[in-house]
Amino acid sequence: MIETLLAALVSGLVLGSLYALMASGLSVVWTTLGVFNFAHGALMMVGAFVAWTVSEAAGLGLLTGIAAGTLVAALLGVLIERLLVRPFYGHRSMLLITVMTTLAAMIILEKGAQIIWGARLKQLPRLIDGEVSILGATISAHEAVLVGLAPLILFAIWRFTLKTRTGRSLRAVGQNQNSAALIGIDVPVAFAIAFGLSAALAGLTGALLGSIRFITPVMGAEPLVKAMIVVIFGGLGSLGATAGAAYLIGLIEALLIVWLGLYWTPFVLFLMMIIVLVFRPNGIFGGKE
Amino acid sequence: MDNLLTVSGVTAGYGPITVLRGLSLHLGAGECIGLFGPNGHGKTTLLQTISGLIRPTSGSIEFDGRELTRLRPPHIVEAGLVQSPQGNTLFGDMRVQETLELAAFSKHARDDRQSNLEKVFALFPRLEERRPQKARTLSGGERQMLSIGCALMCAPRLLMLDEPTLGLSPRLKEELAQAVGSIAKEGIPLIVVEQDVEFLMALADRLYLIEHGEVVREIDRANAPDHDEVMRLYFGEAAG
Amino acid sequence: MSTRARDILVPLACLAVLALVPLVATESYTRHLFIIAFIYGIIASNWNLSLGHCGVFNFGHLTFFGVGVYTAAIAAKTFGINPWIAIWLGGVTAAFAAFLIATPVARLKGIYVVLVTFAFSQLAMQLVLSQSQITGGAEGMVRIPFMRIGDYSFVRDYKLGYYYVGLGLLVLSTLFLLAVINSPFGKSLKAVRDAEDYAESRGISVSTQRILVLVLSAVFTGVAGGFYAIYLRVASPEVFGFGTLALALSMVLIGGTGTTYGPIAAALALTFATESLAGIRGLEEARFIIVAVAMILVLRLAPGGLLGLLNRLKI
Ligand SMILES: Nc1ncnc2c1ncn2[C@@H]1O[C@H](COP(=O)(O)OP(=O)(O)O)[C@@H](O)[C@H]1O
Ligand SMILES: [Mg+2]
Repeated sequence: MIETLLAALVSGLVLGSLYALMASGLSVVWTTLGVFNFAHGALMMVGAFVAWTVSEAAGLGLLTGIAAGTLVAALLGVLIERLLVRPFYGHRSMLLITVMTTLAAMIILEKGAQIIWGARLKQLPRLIDGEVSILGATISAHEAVLVGLAPLILFAIWRFTLKTRTGRSLRAVGQNQNSAALIGIDVPVAFAIAFGLSAALAGLTGALLGSIRFITPVMGAEPLVKAMIVVIFGGLGSLGATAGAAYLIGLIEALLIVWLGLYWTPFVLFLMMIIVLVFRPNGIFGGKE
Repeated sequence: MDNLLTVSGVTAGYGPITVLRGLSLHLGAGECIGLFGPNGHGKTTLLQTISGLIRPTSGSIEFDGRELTRLRPPHIVEAGLVQSPQGNTLFGDMRVQETLELAAFSKHARDDRQSNLEKVFALFPRLEERRPQKARTLSGGERQMLSIGCALMCAPRLLMLDEPTLGLSPRLKEELAQAVGSIAKEGIPLIVVEQDVEFLMALADRLYLIEHGEVVREIDRANAPDHDEVMRLYFGEAAG
Repeated sequence: MSTRARDILVPLACLAVLALVPLVATESYTRHLFIIAFIYGIIASNWNLSLGHCGVFNFGHLTFFGVGVYTAAIAAKTFGINPWIAIWLGGVTAAFAAFLIATPVARLKGIYVVLVTFAFSQLAMQLVLSQSQITGGAEGMVRIPFMRIGDYSFVRDYKLGYYYVGLGLLVLSTLFLLAVINSPFGKSLKAVRDAEDYAESRGISVSTQRILVLVLSAVFTGVAGGFYAIYLRVASPEVFGFGTLALALSMVLIGGTGTTYGPIAAALALTFATESLAGIRGLEEARFIIVAVAMILVLRLAPGGLLGLLNRLKI
């Protein structure tokens, strides 16, 4: 019994790390621009495919692949901001229009990936081979890297937004665009940085996930949906709450899987999310509206 | 003419609504001017247009011999043309210290960050006390101080203040008026929008009365009206 | 021609043309495309009732369709209910599902509406996947009983029967939508969309209205889902996915939110466009990209028509 629970705890930690990386990317874009990026999962998928191409097809090594995947995703993120989000700044229905344009971007990326890379399953090698035992539960060393890396990355983002000039400028733009512009912050540049950073995070997550799961054009959909749940539970407004909610959802999910099995778990998660939203219809996003 | 700022024939507004109708004014080097006039007649719109937040549909704005009309806000701030906007709410979740540090954003402002910060704290000792406090938790007067402080951190070569004493108690109003006075004494050219004409008369070299998006009267030392005339100008024409 | 006459005559003329199409389009593939287009036309025009006319950004409209699909499939296959009745049961359950989701959604605003309705569609999909004994899980259900009248099977005659059932449902759905929009209730919808506060002050309950609109928009969407299951004889969880969602959304946007016939016209045009692209080798996947790009272009370049309306979406 204890062993099962510990195993669930550890696999919850792995899931939580994944969700935390995904959701914090969504959060960066939301807090800066007030845009919910539906293409976030697809950017993750692109990161995985590019990492695979560079690392496996071109044989340049896994680390180069991961770097390339992160970079290409970041560039695509900036492109999405430029073409699909920026034209609608200041529009009264910007939030809803960008939901639609980023949804379109998701379709384009997914179908584009299918054309470029085909539907055949691909997988990346692991960063480190072997297994690691945590609390008596065994996970692959690669998963352990993910678990260790996620808090470091989250911490780095947190320090970035809190301490650096650029990071602070993103927060300023998110809180008051006009005031930010009047102290000399280039608002469109801040938007592009936020999108690029968020997309880089998605690409990196995808490249890391590509060693654990199969790389397919639709591999980003499920993490995106889970990140949406996280975001609803924890709010998009603060990175700490988002990350906390991510680990919480990861744990709940892992425990539910043990308790109810694989099939009922997503159903219960979605039900929880709807119930949370019904009872906290506002303020979940940290009073952004 | 070696004006620091020349606004000529500027027409601007919000979408289909035209607010400024061919407005012209100028500010000489080292000068301090005041703008006044009834509410809703375009003073804020003018400052926003000068700062690049609103694109004029015609006319031109020249600062220090340089055409600014089509520049975007960050480049205008970089040039040294800075404003503290009306009713500024700033960044609610940022601390006072952080906000001031961030405000020294443009390249030339960064070099003087430390000395400017000291100047701001000397001008508003209250801000220094509230350094770790979030902007959201400040009182109205303190926010106004923070807003002016931010503008000073941008290392302005011309500072525009949009109703710096709006909605403050008489005591705070006095405090801020004095602060504005000492900024002027430092030699920073100012454009001050105010409802309190007496204050403006004491502070500024020249005043512009703005109505319906146009300058309807320019007042300087030579044609300075007496108290009664100002009252008539202000309330009489505004009511009419 | 007066606008009123035009509003009646043009659709009637189009209907007459559509009624005669099978005389020209004699092979079953073209008829199949028309049938699919009719179904999408019903989905898009009903979605438009909540999205365009009421300003509710329901991202889970396809859930109603999916509920209709599975209701009819289970009713006809598992319980042996006559397909003619099973189709309508799809409308009933879809309306019930709409009521379930509308109650919480009516109180939400902005992105919350999007997230909750989207989560609801995911919830429905997960339910379908988890109940594989009933729904067939990820594989879905196949060999669902087809329609017949007496001894006449609708599979025969190159889908002629299905063609007219599809067209008939589209006509019924459109008449239903016209009746809703032109009723006092429909007129109050516009009032709420354009000036919510004012409507509230006049005593119109916005949340009751949203609930009613979502339920009404679900009825024929569910019926279309039922017909889809019976016609194709399969039910698969794909109907809840992003792909179907994006296609239907693009029809609403390209056709024009807030118009009655626009989404139907767009459904016909896009179905044929995407299907003919699917016939070109190498473009099987690219057609979805083309639809997505078209959707973006409409959002960007037709601000007067579509964005103008979005402007007035008060969400
Ligand atoms: N964002 C806006 N959109 C449309 N009209 C505006 C906006 N802001 C101000 N206005 C209008 O512009 C006019 C001038 O406003 P403003 O420049 O703020 O006047 P002042 O600062 O002189 O009181 C007013 O009639 C006001 O209603
Ligand atoms: Mg003003």
